[in-house]
Amino acid sequence: MDALDPIIHQPARLQLMSALCQLDEGQRVDFTFLKDQLRLTDGNLGAHLATLESKGYISAEKEFVARRPKTFVAATPAGRAAFASHVGALQSILLPK
Amino acid sequence: MNISPEEATQALRDIEASRVAMRSAFRSHRGHLYLWLWGSIWVAVSLLCWNGTPLGWRISGWLSLAGVAASFVIGTLQGRQVRSRIDKRFIAVCIAILVFGYVALPIALGPPHSYKAAYALGMLVWMQIYVVGGIWFDNYLLWVGIAVTVLVLASLLFLPGAFWACTLLAALVLVGTGSYVRYFWR
Repeated sequence: MDALDPIIHQPARLQLMSALCQLDEGQRVDFTFLKDQLRLTDGNLGAHLATLESKGYISAEKEFVARRPKTFVAATPAGRAAFASHVGALQSILLPK
Repeated sequence: MNISPEEATQALRDIEASRVAMRSAFRSHRGHLYLWLWGSIWVAVSLLCWNGTPLGWRISGWLSLAGVAASFVIGTLQGRQVRSRIDKRFIAVCIAILVFGYVALPIALGPPHSYKAAYALGMLVWMQIYVVGGIWFDNYLLWVGIAVTVLVLASLLFLPGAFWACTLLAALVLVGTGSYVRYFWR
């Protein structure tokens, strides 16, 4: 039985996990690109990413691109599974009993 | 954790909105720019070489070099937004195909006997990389690779008079697939 995940259910994190789960396996997205697409502020996105990372739902890696530090983010397999389970739980709420 | 059906409906709507927006954003990183670029270059080369003008043959070399430089720029810029892990086995297969097509084959069979054969070889080598890329990553590359290979081989072997028309069609397959990937790919 799928269960709701309070970490994922927060609106911005729900949006974030939904976005990251659209990436192919092995793909990572740049922090700034993600921030622009989701229309979040630096601080807001950073805080939500830290929460998701502490649960092991996403991974963040820092790299230097053209001598500038960049952070690339991806959903982990555990994060994808947790998100799928959360969506399943949401759908089950709407099923007639 | 308990939520009402209304909250669940709203959450699912938010998920769907985010999914659609991100799919659209990520779609711009699925290779359509390369397909447009090389499709356009091949269209230009096919039109320039249609009447067998030597000028067209010379310009095609420079166009291809410009295409390589532009591909490098596209890869660098896009890699700053969405990155894929470098698959060393795929890179190794690509290098093997390039060495086989551009080095081993000409040594074993001799250099291409005509400009058409040389151009066809160039296209076919890259299309085999598309086929492998299709098996490895994205299905559409497989079909593009097969379609262009069939067009180029059939025209070279059986319809030499229609060779440039077929390479033009092959180039349009690339451009069309690029547009499909950019605007309709889910």
